[in-house]
Amino acid sequence: MGTKEEAQGTLSSTDFGVSASAFILNWNTVCSSFPPWTWVLSHHQVEGYLSLENILLSSTQEEHGELSCPGPGKHSHQEDPIDVDDATLVHTNPCKVHYYDLHIIYCNSYRVPVLYFRAYDSDGEPLEFDEIENDLPAYSKKALSDSKWTFITQEEHPYLNRPWYKLHPCGTSEWMKLLFHADDALAKTGVAIELYLVAWLSVVGHVVGLRIPFEMMKQL
Amino acid sequence: MASESIVVFAQFQSAVDEGFWHRFSSLKLNKLGIDDSPIPITGFYAPCSHPQVSNHLTLLAESLPSESNEQSSTAATSGGNRNRCPVPGILYNTNTIESFHALDKKSLLKAEAKKIWDDIHTGKAVEDSAVLSRFLLISFADLKKWTFHYWFAFPALVLDPPATLVDLRRASQYFSLEEAKSVSAACNEWRNSSLTADVPFFLVCVDPNSLATVKHIKDWETCQSDGNKLLFGFYDPCHLPNNPGWPLRNFLALISVRWNLKSVRFLCYRENRGFADLGLSLVGEALITVPQGRAAKTGNGLGWRDHQCLPNAVGWEQNKGRQVSRCISLAKSMDPTRLAISAADLNLKLMRWRALPSLNLNALSSMKCLLLGAGTLGCQVARMLMAWGVRKITLVDNGRVAMSNPLRQSLYTLDDCLNGGEYKATAAVKSLGRIFPAVDAEGVVMAIPMPGHPVPSQEEDNVLEDCRRLHDLVDSHDAVFLLTDTRESRWLPTLLCANTNKITITAALGFDSFLVMRHGAGPFSSNDERQRLGCYFCSDVVAPIDSTANRTLDQQCTVTRPGLAPIASALAVELLVGILHHPQGIFADGELANSSNSGSCEQPLGVLPHQIRGSLSQFSQMTLVGQSSNSCTACSSTNIRKEEWNLSSKQSIILPI
Repeated sequence: MGTKEEAQGTLSSTDFGVSASAFILNWNTVCSSFPPWTWVLSHHQVEGYLSLENILLSSTQEEHGELSCPGPGKHSHQEDPIDVDDATLVHTNPCKVHYYDLHIIYCNSYRVPVLYFRAYDSDGEPLEFDEIENDLPAYSKKALSDSKWTFITQEEHPYLNRPWYKLHPCGTSEWMKLLFHADDALAKTGVAIELYLVAWLSVVGHVVGLRIPFEMMKQL
Repeated sequence: MASESIVVFAQFQSAVDEGFWHRFSSLKLNKLGIDDSPIPITGFYAPCSHPQVSNHLTLLAESLPSESNEQSSTAATSGGNRNRCPVPGILYNTNTIESFHALDKKSLLKAEAKKIWDDIHTGKAVEDSAVLSRFLLISFADLKKWTFHYWFAFPALVLDPPATLVDLRRASQYFSLEEAKSVSAACNEWRNSSLTADVPFFLVCVDPNSLATVKHIKDWETCQSDGNKLLFGFYDPCHLPNNPGWPLRNFLALISVRWNLKSVRFLCYRENRGFADLGLSLVGEALITVPQGRAAKTGNGLGWRDHQCLPNAVGWEQNKGRQVSRCISLAKSMDPTRLAISAADLNLKLMRWRALPSLNLNALSSMKCLLLGAGTLGCQVARMLMAWGVRKITLVDNGRVAMSNPLRQSLYTLDDCLNGGEYKATAAVKSLGRIFPAVDAEGVVMAIPMPGHPVPSQEEDNVLEDCRRLHDLVDSHDAVFLLTDTRESRWLPTLLCANTNKITITAALGFDSFLVMRHGAGPFSSNDERQRLGCYFCSDVVAPIDSTANRTLDQQCTVTRPGLAPIASALAVELLVGILHHPQGIFADGELANSSNSGSCEQPLGVLPHQIRGSLSQFSQMTLVGQSSNSCTACSSTNIRKEEWNLSSKQSIILPI
């Protein structure tokens, strides 16, 4: 099974699948008021990953109504007057909302899960990294700069072939090892696989301000 | 709500996922080309699920037809679920920004409105109600800049006169407690069944015993018993408490035409956390007074019952209150050059984070390197420099690529050899650009003036010009690599570098041995009397002479074991990086490998040697230190002053005496 892996803080890809199923069940029970995590199969229908999308993470008032696309002369174009009738509500300045997509994908070379995420506004335009940083809770920003376990990098999503941000996995096995060794009960009862993702996400989720309720760890 | 006012509808809002543009770009590049016929697409929406934020009509990668050769001329509505009600739409993409702005928006909107009108009259809208929310998208995809201009329209048939609002309140205030419970349960059941979850228009029938059922709108006949409350329900993307969402507009049109109702009670169905939320949902009553029988404006006499009489339509989406198109730039995630740059940066950053926190990436990326020689050594050094993040590289070589070159000179291929062969400097620059498009590479086709080689009198001015050019090149770069294939061609560059105190790295190859070294600081570089490290010529006892005359072919071509050049080039670049990270830079003392000189060995990159001599026959390598010589023919102060005088008086010591 995986005791040797557990000792190293890693897990096999099959065990990732097992842990993911347990995680989904656990989450949907404990966090029923949250949108559910779903398991998405890759196009080859062999591998899969966990997905939680369209999370509303922030809404602040918009500062100015500038169009997002820079370019000369775009305002100079005379648009034909378009019919608007009285029955149409004229939009006031809407709230600036940021949406986040989170994917948990298994990494073969490091043998650990990796959190991929992206952020975009209500038009679908991807957010810049510093805008994302502004969304992050204050403790997370500090943790990112202090800790050598967590680096946010931008890399190609393994299935979608577009750049997503991810928390680099190079330190994961080391701190997962510490997590599991610290809790003897976990190591002995052998439920380490099923709780792996919960434990992992409780650390990693912090970075994007996702809190894992304690109840999830006690679920078994 | 007592006063009678018209119903004011909140417009649909669009949201386009990045994946849609990615997929569309791919479709355009691989399949469509310049074909700009309209494309059927599918939009997705769901009822509002948040009290402060409306839901959007979303386009995803799946909204487009697949790229495989399944011909589908009708809108293939891909699978929906409770969070994704599919809605048919059409995309008009133009090939230029001018034609984008020139599209006749009025008539395009009218055409889509007509489709809705037709579906209402033929009854299709009763069977497949999602067609009531049919939408239109016009776009211009600029695939050079990766920007996308677009504009949505959500055609709505205009009721003339407009519908008046008799009443609008929260659903929880309209229904009794019992009724509310039953309505919620029935709606949740509708939403949880895979057969109905994505059907956005429905009927809610509440019998006198407060029992509610939700039915398809085609079952309208069956809800007609007395005492039943009948509401026309629809998934409302809008969250506002005083306005119903856009889908109600065409729903009212349908109700008026099909069933000739004047008074319509409607349910704006909204959710919270996946369940019906009757506090957020609204129930209202609207009065429709469009002419049905008397003469309509077009003078036909049948009003709305007349299929031929298309009402006006509105629906172009406002952009922050203005009637203009939207624009989104996806260059960062789609432009291959940008992606290559960020991938390259990431690699170096990872090195810095995990292994070498003191790595100075800025110094590397801003360093300007001059490579004299674009042969076996030059090609490899250039590649290694790029791998370290150096972007500004100049290559100097006057030769052309020969047939034997591509094997050992890693920037060239057979194509460069044809038709006499391209100039190496030019071919190298092109090659570097193909490897990493953001490199700033320049090629200079020029011979390096050499002492001891005879110069015909008609060439004198050219040679002087080359000296001047070389002087300027050395001056305008930060580090110089001497990578030529003769000793004497290294002499003038050494002198020029010593004069301007530039970092200079020499690599020289024998048959199975190599030398890689860094020249010491120039003689005028500092005021103190410390001993400088030597240059390539410091340990000579004679002046460089013409070493190519009277040599056999293999000596002239400096045939070496192929493994040597890559090893020497790699060491040369690593030596440069070491200098850059040493606090004393060019003034750093020469260190020896395995030395017990622990003081200076604490540099993160390790020791910084002066000279590295290696032997392939031994698979061995050693480090050496050599001090500068006061009688060096290249870097001694007396020599440099003499040379300055010579150049300024337009005579060159290169000319044979």
